[in-house]
Amino acid sequence: MKQRGGSAVVSTDVDARDVEEHEEAAAEPGAVTDEGQPDPPAPARRWPRVVAAVLAVVLLVAGGVLFAQGRALRDTPATANRALTDSEATTRVAGDVSNALGKVFSYSPQATAVTKESAKQLLAGKALQQYAALFGQVEKQSADQKLTLTTHVVRAGVTRLTENSAHLLVFLDQVYEREGKPATTAAAQLSVTAQLRDGHWTVVEITSR
Amino acid sequence: MTPRTRTLTGWAALLAAVLICALGGWSYAQARGDDSLAYAKSRDAALADGKHHLARLNSLDAKDARTVDAGLGAWLDSSTGPLHDQLARTRSKDAKELTKSGATARGKVTDAALTALDERTGTAELIATVDVEVTPRTGRSGTERKRFEATLSRTADGWKVKALTAIPVGSGA
Repeated sequence: MKQRGGSAVVSTDVDARDVEEHEEAAAEPGAVTDEGQPDPPAPARRWPRVVAAVLAVVLLVAGGVLFAQGRALRDTPATANRALTDSEATTRVAGDVSNALGKVFSYSPQATAVTKESAKQLLAGKALQQYAALFGQVEKQSADQKLTLTTHVVRAGVTRLTENSAHLLVFLDQVYEREGKPATTAAAQLSVTAQLRDGHWTVVEITSR
Repeated sequence: MTPRTRTLTGWAALLAAVLICALGGWSYAQARGDDSLAYAKSRDAALADGKHHLARLNSLDAKDARTVDAGLGAWLDSSTGPLHDQLARTRSKDAKELTKSGATARGKVTDAALTALDERTGTAELIATVDVEVTPRTGRSGTERKRFEATLSRTADGWKVKALTAIPVGSGA
């Protein structure tokens, strides 16, 4: 059995060599007429060269396609948004914005200046006007009726987070206390846009939901 | 150009092509195996699916028994786990009551955010504000503002709602 197997290999080997010789013989006349001078080794070397060129092109194309596919995978809106993927930054912005909202929406007749001061520090841009609109009435009542307002953040979630901008949804509970009356609690939901300014998250837009 | 330099140039070109292909492959493999990229995509999928299902769970066309049945079917389709079981258990009772009341509800998610996402267990926590426009059989329609917390679970058919709670006022104090 071994003997036969060995002889079979030898015979195919011979066949292959035969084919190569035939090819060389076939290519030779063409080469002679093309270049006008006999140059026997040149046609023999042409095959590897063509193969190498084709291989190089295939490799370049494959590399380009893979690179483009990788880019397509990476360059989606999902990657630009760091909400939850960067858990530390997500926690920080949620904490900062929750603190800011808790401060600016808490009010007592004795400490109106404190609330106004923190609003100036923690809010900016459009949010300042929106705050005035949301809070103006409470402010008036507060002075007239000795109203105290305390705001707690119940839940806060970050929908979009980039290097210096964030969008959040915040659920609030607001406790109103009037002198000599039982406290009442109201729910508020705010969509908030915040920007990182001088290392602090500043609320720049508030929408009531 | 001597044949020798030509050969060398050929080899150099081939080598360069191999390197470029390898670089492309490496870049692709990096993107493919990027965990935070997969996580970000799950996050966006969970948020989008969660919004869609929450709107459906707050909507019901109570025109007649047939639309009520279709609406309850949609509720089952949007839910999974405990919520699905509960809705399936009370389906016939719900159908009777909702057909009798005849109030049509249309829910619209006005904003939503994920507060947690666990890729490994396939669960996510979602908070959302929903405007529910309720139109009674007779009379004027009114809009209710609701706030929800939902637990989402990843199924073969996308993220679905496993638990849904309206966050009551005063729960955070």
